Amino acid sequence: MKARVLVAMSGGVDSSVAAAMLVREGYDVIGATMKLHSDGAEVPDKPCCSLDSVNDARRIAERIGIPHYVLNLEKSFTRDVLDDFVSEYARGRTPIPCVRCNTFTKFRDLIQKADTVDAEFVATGHYARVVNGELNRGTDDAKDQTYFLWGIERSAISRMLLPVGDMTKPQVRVLAHELGLNLVAEKPESQEICFVPDGNYSKILIEHLGADAPSLSPGPIVTSDGTVVGEHAGFAHYTIGQRRGVPGGYDEPMFVTEIRAADRAVVIGPREELMGRGVIARGLNWLVNPAPAVGDHVGVRVRHRAPIVPAEIVRIEGDEIELALDAPVRAIAPGQSLVLYDGDRMLGGGFIESARAARTGLPVLTLR
Amino acid sequence: MRQIARHQSPVACYIWTMPAPIYLDHAATTPVRPEVLEAMQPFFGPRFGNPSSTHRWGREARTALDAARERVAKCLGANADEVCFTSGGTEGDNIAVLGGWRVLKPKGRNAIVTSPIEHKAVLQSVHQATKEGAEERLLSVDSTGTVELTSASDLVRDDTALCTVMWINNEIGTIQPIEELAALAKSRGVIFHTDAVQAFGKVEIDARKTPFDFLSISGHKIGAPKGIGAMYIRRNTPLEPLFFGGSQDRGRRPGTENVAYAVALATATELTLAEHEREGARLTALRQKLEAAILAKLPDAIVHGRGAKRAPHVLNISVPGTDSESMLMALDLQGIACSGGSACQSGSVGASHVLDSLGLRADIANAAIRMSLGALTTDESVDRVAEIFPALALKARGLASV
Repeated sequence: MKARVLVAMSGGVDSSVAAAMLVREGYDVIGATMKLHSDGAEVPDKPCCSLDSVNDARRIAERIGIPHYVLNLEKSFTRDVLDDFVSEYARGRTPIPCVRCNTFTKFRDLIQKADTVDAEFVATGHYARVVNGELNRGTDDAKDQTYFLWGIERSAISRMLLPVGDMTKPQVRVLAHELGLNLVAEKPESQEICFVPDGNYSKILIEHLGADAPSLSPGPIVTSDGTVVGEHAGFAHYTIGQRRGVPGGYDEPMFVTEIRAADRAVVIGPREELMGRGVIARGLNWLVNPAPAVGDHVGVRVRHRAPIVPAEIVRIEGDEIELALDAPVRAIAPGQSLVLYDGDRMLGGGFIESARAARTGLPVLTLR
Repeated sequence: MRQIARHQSPVACYIWTMPAPIYLDHAATTPVRPEVLEAMQPFFGPRFGNPSSTHRWGREARTALDAARERVAKCLGANADEVCFTSGGTEGDNIAVLGGWRVLKPKGRNAIVTSPIEHKAVLQSVHQATKEGAEERLLSVDSTGTVELTSASDLVRDDTALCTVMWINNEIGTIQPIEELAALAKSRGVIFHTDAVQAFGKVEIDARKTPFDFLSISGHKIGAPKGIGAMYIRRNTPLEPLFFGGSQDRGRRPGTENVAYAVALATATELTLAEHEREGARLTALRQKLEAAILAKLPDAIVHGRGAKRAPHVLNISVPGTDSESMLMALDLQGIACSGGSACQSGSVGASHVLDSLGLRADIANAAIRMSLGALTTDESVDRVAEIFPALALKARGLASV
């Protein structure tokens, strides 16, 4: 028998197919469903962690003849992912919890569980590929999930198996049927954050911060010259680039261009004020060796599904990196990820700290 | 183990490659005894009648049901009319708690006294009663997991409808002071219920000696199938039924009786009782051997309930620096079946409310592994667990400290 592998099975089609493929390839496969948050039982038809998902994963495991376990990682998930999600919104940023879930929950905690059962590998249904010890973009351009994987330890890559990474979603569904996984083959895709099943993250913020938290309390809507043009009901409800909830009556459409936690202000402006030519990120993590250096030209992505655009690394100091973008990019939001690419190779990334209106060295557009 | 391979079911495939699996989870459930299977067989065949029917089929079923009831009663030191068949422990606990409280509530007895280490079937029934207006009072439990009698003396008063305390705790095996609690409740006019699901066949249960009013047992813990249990209801104890619709079981539990399973339960209770002393001594010796062997290799391991009166079949142990989830996985992959805290519906291991109430450190509670011995436990299997468990724990600990 080939090496032992622990597969994270969400009960969805991607991880189910991943598990079945590994069984077919002769691996000694163990299935595990991670229970990450407790409201799962109350939203039974939602994508992840609910009882139905666990049951689906279990039934798939039975179907393909592997043992299946439920791992309760609620405590560490709350600490590493959920709490950060809440505090980021409280700071006026737009967090991306999937990154931290991959970094801490899937490719740290789950690898630890794999160690205890002598599993050499951890497998997931991510659309990404391991190529020569590096992570490459998934073959399906629309599904590529490397944007969420930049934060993992580089040493984890050698232990990852990503069986669906070189397939397209339609191919995965076809294979699911071929492998007899009809139960999950046509499951709808989840675009939402798993612990915000109805897309309404305000509820979670209220629950954790209290309804009267500063981020959920009224504050001014201002233009970039400081003119107060209205009032909002809490800056945590806003995201940079948003148009909804922004006062109208201007010659051109106005967008949220900045969220200032310090004076609770939501700054709005026309499209041009939304464009950034530079971006600064922190928590820099490289997944390649040697790591890129100042002066290197790379591709960058500042938001899930945003196009990868050419840029130049202009500064690296400690865990902070600054890039100059060859062309302006819209709605660069602090808290989101900045991920660097060289073709299909994912080089690394960081959390966006701020954007610059100009290519280098000019005043920071978004103050903290 | 080769027997399992015969089935060729997809699930069995992974078991195939392992050495003979060891079942150490008898507190969760037990295999149906061959004698029990044989005894109920005719009722799936020619003796299929409805005991309420007046024709010969009905009479035949009625005869078997009456005999089964008498046999179970005898095993409990009870009269036949004091035994009510249920679907199992959970149902018995629900009927006792809610049925007892609802009938005494209008008489100025609104409180229910229970312990924090009860099975969820009792605790959730009590919570349901509180939703309907009951006052819940929790007894104190000492660090070994035994209810403190002084707190019972404080909490069981003349405003109390019901006191419910399990006889043997399912997670750590501690034996509760049922004689004293039942006597106390009786002296204050309070209904006393005990969940004896783990206790039947492990301690002497005799309704003539111990003044409990209600007692629930479950078939599948003693070699009968899942889905059958019984409840002892002392004569003249008021009880409001939870089900309605017929006069079966004196209206306390309407619905066509499961004759086959009642016969199974009767057979299982008799067999269990007949071997109770011999099996108790055998399991006690095996558990002590296992406990000593593990402690010899892991001197810092913590045996829960140590120092208390304990049932012969339960060993609950925490190895500092490990977590039960990983240990259970690793043990299962080695073919050893144990359990952690209370298994929740999703199959994940949640924090155990029983261990929590002992005041344990969270990491110690999260490391708890329950091994429960029984019919399938042999000397050899205990030796192998004594070998493998410490090795896995040491490995898990090594990894955790990295």
